Amino acid sequence: MPVSDTLGVSVVNEDTFSFLNPASHAPAPEGPLADSQIAVQANLCVQGWPANAGSRALENFTALEDATVVERLHSAGASIAGFTRTSELAFGLDGDTSAAAVASSACDAALVTDTIGESRVAAAQARLFGFKPTAGTISRYGLIGLVPSMECLGVVARDVTTIAGILRAISGPDERDFSLGGEFPDFSAPDAATDTKTIAVIPQSLAGLDPEERDAFESALVVLRKAGARTTEAPVEDYDLLRTVHQAIGSTEASSSAGKYDSVRYGHRAAKADDWNEMYLKSREESFGPLVKSFLFQGAYFQFENYSAFENACRIRRRLVEALNKVLSESGLIALPTRKKNVPSDPAESVSQVYDRFALTLAANVAGLPAISVPGFVKADGEDLGLQLVASRLQDNRLLGYAARIATMHRGDL
Amino acid sequence: MAYEAVIGLEIHVQLNCDTKMFCDCPNRPGDRPNINTCPICLWMPGAIPQFSRNALEHAALTAMALNCTIQPESAFDQKVYYYPDLPKGFQLSQHHKPLARNGWLDITGEDGSPRHLRIHHVHMEEDVAKLVHETEGRTKISLVDFNRAGSPLVEIVTEPDMRSAYDAMEFLRILRRQIRYAGTAECSMDSGTMRCDANISIRPVGSSEMNTKVEVKNMNSVRAVGSAIDHEILRQTEELDAGRPIVLHTRLWDPDKNITTPMRGKFAGPCVPDPSVPAIVLTEEWVANIGSQLPEMPAQKQARFVSEYGLLDDEAAQMSAELDVAEYFEALAKQSIQPRTAAQWVASRLIPALREKGQQMAETTVTPERLATLLRMIEQDKITAKAARQVFDLMLDSDQSPESIVEEHGFSQIGESDELAAMLDSVLAEHADAVENYRNGKTEAAGFLVGQVMRVSKGKANPKLLREMLEARLAG
Repeated sequence: MPVSDTLGVSVVNEDTFSFLNPASHAPAPEGPLADSQIAVQANLCVQGWPANAGSRALENFTALEDATVVERLHSAGASIAGFTRTSELAFGLDGDTSAAAVASSACDAALVTDTIGESRVAAAQARLFGFKPTAGTISRYGLIGLVPSMECLGVVARDVTTIAGILRAISGPDERDFSLGGEFPDFSAPDAATDTKTIAVIPQSLAGLDPEERDAFESALVVLRKAGARTTEAPVEDYDLLRTVHQAIGSTEASSSAGKYDSVRYGHRAAKADDWNEMYLKSREESFGPLVKSFLFQGAYFQFENYSAFENACRIRRRLVEALNKVLSESGLIALPTRKKNVPSDPAESVSQVYDRFALTLAANVAGLPAISVPGFVKADGEDLGLQLVASRLQDNRLLGYAARIATMHRGDL
Repeated sequence: MAYEAVIGLEIHVQLNCDTKMFCDCPNRPGDRPNINTCPICLWMPGAIPQFSRNALEHAALTAMALNCTIQPESAFDQKVYYYPDLPKGFQLSQHHKPLARNGWLDITGEDGSPRHLRIHHVHMEEDVAKLVHETEGRTKISLVDFNRAGSPLVEIVTEPDMRSAYDAMEFLRILRRQIRYAGTAECSMDSGTMRCDANISIRPVGSSEMNTKVEVKNMNSVRAVGSAIDHEILRQTEELDAGRPIVLHTRLWDPDKNITTPMRGKFAGPCVPDPSVPAIVLTEEWVANIGSQLPEMPAQKQARFVSEYGLLDDEAAQMSAELDVAEYFEALAKQSIQPRTAAQWVASRLIPALREKGQQMAETTVTPERLATLLRMIEQDKITAKAARQVFDLMLDSDQSPESIVEEHGFSQIGESDELAAMLDSVLAEHADAVENYRNGKTEAAGFLVGQVMRVSKGKANPKLLREMLEARLAG
């Protein structure tokens, strides 16, 4: 069921959740998130739950322990509502019900793995807030990930306060995840950043928009200017390469990450095979859907046949990250829409289609920057495209503060 | 045509850290199968490797013992291949940015000339699980033991500087000695804590070209490495002489048949940077601090044994060859035993005795203190050197003090006494012809007479004293 069709309709839990917390009605303990119901995708380990990451490759896998963020949500008093339905290995949004679960008030927020823009695009589609934190600030221990250098747990919620509250609980150092950076955003003062911003618009980032989408985005900028922001154009050379960079590095990392799905200890196993090698091949062939399969094939191509292209992508990535950081050091924020309109609701047929659908969000993943999608600003054809704001590394709290302020202001405007 | 061999080695050394490389599981591969495991080393979904500081320190110390330069930045890559001993689909190893580069070891070549053998780099990697193949019974099965999965290893890759099996074996012995001195690994090829693959090619003598190499694996001793290399050189020579080109491939050493056999084509997987293990950035201070933990190494120790204890060069070399021997020797010398005497006893009595008993230095009942007591009894003329050797043999199997062994077995030396004088008198009476010869200037007869008294005294007489007594008596 396409997510956009479910808006405003009370969704039956069985359609939204692949697994419901059997203990969800237990009284919530004390804590800043007491009484909160938070949905997670099936790629986040909750001890004893069928964390199959939406893939046959993890069929029958039961999580051995809680992910760090699950532990932290529990100790903050939140209850995990259940596993939402999840696209295969949580890549893209095909069949994902996280935003629907929030929109239908089945939960207060959903954690959505943001690898290419999932938390922001899902939020924009459902007229919610979707936030991807700075890479390396949320523990990935217990996250059944696919693209370690791009993915980060994001939060989809109906308001910024809820998002900030969850981040306060889950962000921070974790001795089980050494890949975290040494610095973390300060979420202690939720509305600190209400000062006027200079907002940069990167012309190349708007290249794929049609005139109507451009107009919609322009009117959003007008509103922001009215609210006191100064907008400025900031060209970034080779911005269009972000997509190729994401795809080359993302698919390569995915190929490695998914290498462990060999059907031996869990996961679907082919009925018959002559030896272990054939068992691997057949089981993997039967386990992965066509989209993940072609993504993994692409990654294997870079790994086995064209490593220099991968190295080039890494080099270009460093250059683009520098360029984006430079823009952000001069202006506090970058603005662009979160998605295009008329995105088909049926599953993507190819990796290229996935990249089409997330063309506006993947920059923040490539550069590890915090980004939020704010509803209500960019409207075209009656669809909310989402206003996406991107900030410098570790400026998560300022970004949330600004988003909260304009959201309030805009609500007054309506 | 005359060929020369070009040989490089790839040596895996299992570090003796307490824990594995990316989790806190005990680094004890030999325990009951699959006991030392956790979600990380079982590579379960959602687990993230947690790089061990201790493994890094051990690896760095090992590399420094091999005269390598620690790199300011190194990083882990994923070596991608699919095999049941690696259920994560990649092994964490350092391919693009190794921990250390540009090392060397000096050996003495077969012709006695010094050989400077270079090490290209030293990198860290995790060990994979161990497959146990059950071939008995109706269905052949393979079992996977994850105790070894994630054990910390270093791989040492040499330059192709070796020219003979001798070079390679000597290199391995020196390498093992250096690492054992550093104390970071056991380095036993027998128990698998050191594994060596050899890359071998041949070329016409005098040529500087690098020809197609063949990798040989599966040698379980230093000697086997030598045999495998010798065999492979011969095989390649025969191939070339028969006009057949050498093909790049891997061969397995068969220790029972003393041959190498071709292995199924090895799948060479790619290596991509691992995004979850952060790059290892080391400051000069850190490196200096690790370097300061390196003990005195064999070459320095040998030089000091010459200058401080007055040992001869080859005695000092022998006493410094292994750390436990060196420590034993010094402990003995510090008990006010004449150092060269100490070295000779360690080299000619203790080491052979331990080898025969299959004991390590640490296991023997003949502690430096006990041996010193024995050697002092010789210096004080309480027993003869010959008797001391017998006492020593008895000490190997008991905790009894040397004094009480001497007493119990009557090894005491017969000093200047009526007893000795009586023995001398009876020998002189018995061998009047020898006495006559001596008096006629044939002084070698004295040696014969002393020998006769020694025999009568069952070796307990003090030969030096005896000789003086004899000379005094016959001069009269």
